[in-house]
Amino acid sequence: MTPREAVDRVLLYALLLAVTVVVCFPLAWAFFTSVKPKDEIFAWPPTLWPQAWTLENYRTLFAGKQAYFQGGTAAATAPPPSAFFLDWFLNSVLIAAGTTAISTIVSTLAAYSLTRFRFPGQRAVPFLALIGYMVPSIIFVFPMFLVMADLRLTDTLASLVLGYVCITLPFCMWLMWAFFRGVPVEIEEAALVDGASRLRVFLEIVLPTAWPGIVAAAIFTLIVSWNDYLFGRVFINTMENLPLTVGVMHFFDGTHVDWGLMMASSVLMTVPMALLFALLQRHLVAGFGAGAVKG
Amino acid sequence: MDVRLEGLSKSFGANVVLKALDLTFPERKFVTLLGPSGCGKTTLLRLIAGLERASAGAILFGGERVDHLPPGERNIAMVFQSYALYPTMDVAANIGYGLKVRGVPRPERAERVGLVARVLEIAHLLKRKPRALSGGQRQRVALGRAMVRKPDIFLMDEPLSNLDAKLRATMRGELKRFHLDLETTSIYVTHDQLEAMTMSDLIAVMNEGEVQQFATPEEVYDRPVNLFVAGFIGSPPMNFCDVTVTERNGAPALMLAERALPAPPGFDLSRVEAGRRLVLGIRPQDVRLARPDEPGAVPGTVWMVELIGSERLVEVEVAPKLRITAEVKAEVRATIDAPAAVALDATKMHLFDPETGRALPRLR
Repeated sequence: MTPREAVDRVLLYALLLAVTVVVCFPLAWAFFTSVKPKDEIFAWPPTLWPQAWTLENYRTLFAGKQAYFQGGTAAATAPPPSAFFLDWFLNSVLIAAGTTAISTIVSTLAAYSLTRFRFPGQRAVPFLALIGYMVPSIIFVFPMFLVMADLRLTDTLASLVLGYVCITLPFCMWLMWAFFRGVPVEIEEAALVDGASRLRVFLEIVLPTAWPGIVAAAIFTLIVSWNDYLFGRVFINTMENLPLTVGVMHFFDGTHVDWGLMMASSVLMTVPMALLFALLQRHLVAGFGAGAVKG
Repeated sequence: MDVRLEGLSKSFGANVVLKALDLTFPERKFVTLLGPSGCGKTTLLRLIAGLERASAGAILFGGERVDHLPPGERNIAMVFQSYALYPTMDVAANIGYGLKVRGVPRPERAERVGLVARVLEIAHLLKRKPRALSGGQRQRVALGRAMVRKPDIFLMDEPLSNLDAKLRATMRGELKRFHLDLETTSIYVTHDQLEAMTMSDLIAVMNEGEVQQFATPEEVYDRPVNLFVAGFIGSPPMNFCDVTVTERNGAPALMLAERALPAPPGFDLSRVEAGRRLVLGIRPQDVRLARPDEPGAVPGTVWMVELIGSERLVEVEVAPKLRITAEVKAEVRATIDAPAAVALDATKMHLFDPETGRALPRLR
């Protein structure tokens, strides 16, 4: 390694370290705050590393409504927001799973038909879909709310699943379209000659080949539906039906902010996505890479 | 099993790709569909495979109509130009997929795949994915996939075109050997006349959706039926010159660049009226360099000289814009712009009607 290369490498690592610190510091801060006692959270000067460790915030979040009702105070006051945390978490899991399943399956089938069957406007559809994705969600949200109201779906998880499918489907379809264009038709024809039916060719030959693209589309949908705030805020109005992103905002009330619960919720919101990323990172990179090159 | 085409046509919109073909590929023969790009040869192969639907006409295998059947029910095997291996499956699964689809039990499948792999010398590659194979190895896997099912008809779409020249030469022999071992009817598509000439029992030369000539390689080379076949087959290509029928000393002769050449013995020109224009075709191998004063030689000047290994191509301009190429031994020297003459072997001449492009009938 020449001195010039050594300097370049040191500068590169310094830059990477700086970016990593900027990205990771809020996460570290959230985690350490979530395991501090309340008085230490507001101590001055602030501490990063907790002097006393506690899991009190997590215990409160996981206690759920049952614990509140067993406490015997139910008749007098409404449960505190933390009592709904498990509901919100489950809601978000159901919404994300439902959206991902529908969006991935529909976009995969749509994209396959776009690349394999000839019909008027075949070339325009993927690009129109992409343009649709470029329109900000805020423009869709109120017309969609009116539609949901007509369908009597407001304040249901189904309204959020439908809403997220509407905003993720175009991009997923475009992504899968780019993928299927890279899958040579000859391998399908070879399977047909080998005696496989069309359905079997799709399931056994095409889907495994397009797997990285499907994973990429699924992760994209998961991220959007797990992290979105706007649709949940507009479509849902009862505490039990809120998604996690909107629910945790109830730790802010008119008089104070419960930073301990807020940070513990943030950590618990981040963990599933981080785990998923760690597991599927390889597919995701391959998926976006291949889609970009072949698209 | 023979393959018969009856009035087979294919159009894509207004574009007619195949024009009412009537053809029979005899049982157990190695037949090549040869022609330039866009002549319809691959479309014809895909119709036989069932990957395209015919616009009109019928396809019969062993006398039974099959054009309504999907590819999987025709008991054919096909090797694609790109090999079309299943990228997510290993070599064993690739070869055995057709058997799996047909419900062959796993132990029998493994046995048959192993047998084919040993024949093709790829037994050590069975656990590898296609991306970890070289071009030649992929080719063998594609062949293995075709062979393992014992098909009635073996279809190949330019299977050697992605290989380097050396491997291609080796695989030509191997493919022919496999054909003889399999004892199936093989239909092979190529635009490479060398492949067609070396491997085929019969060649169908195609152009613009029509079969121009369907004959043995020798016949296609020695007796081309029209100008297209004559020009397409042979390397370097055949020389073509406009000639006029005339009479010299009471016998018919051909006027080429103001020189009278004796009429070729294979044709009866006594019935052709004097003054009629014809196209004379002669292969460079049948032209030699001669002294300008030699009887029957056509004088001119050397226009270009090219060394092609053990031979040398000498292009002689015998009239403005009329050049005749001679293929001579590499030892023969020629200098560009120097005077030279060419002598044409009358027994190897071909004559064509310039209006129809068809060859003049030969004497038996």
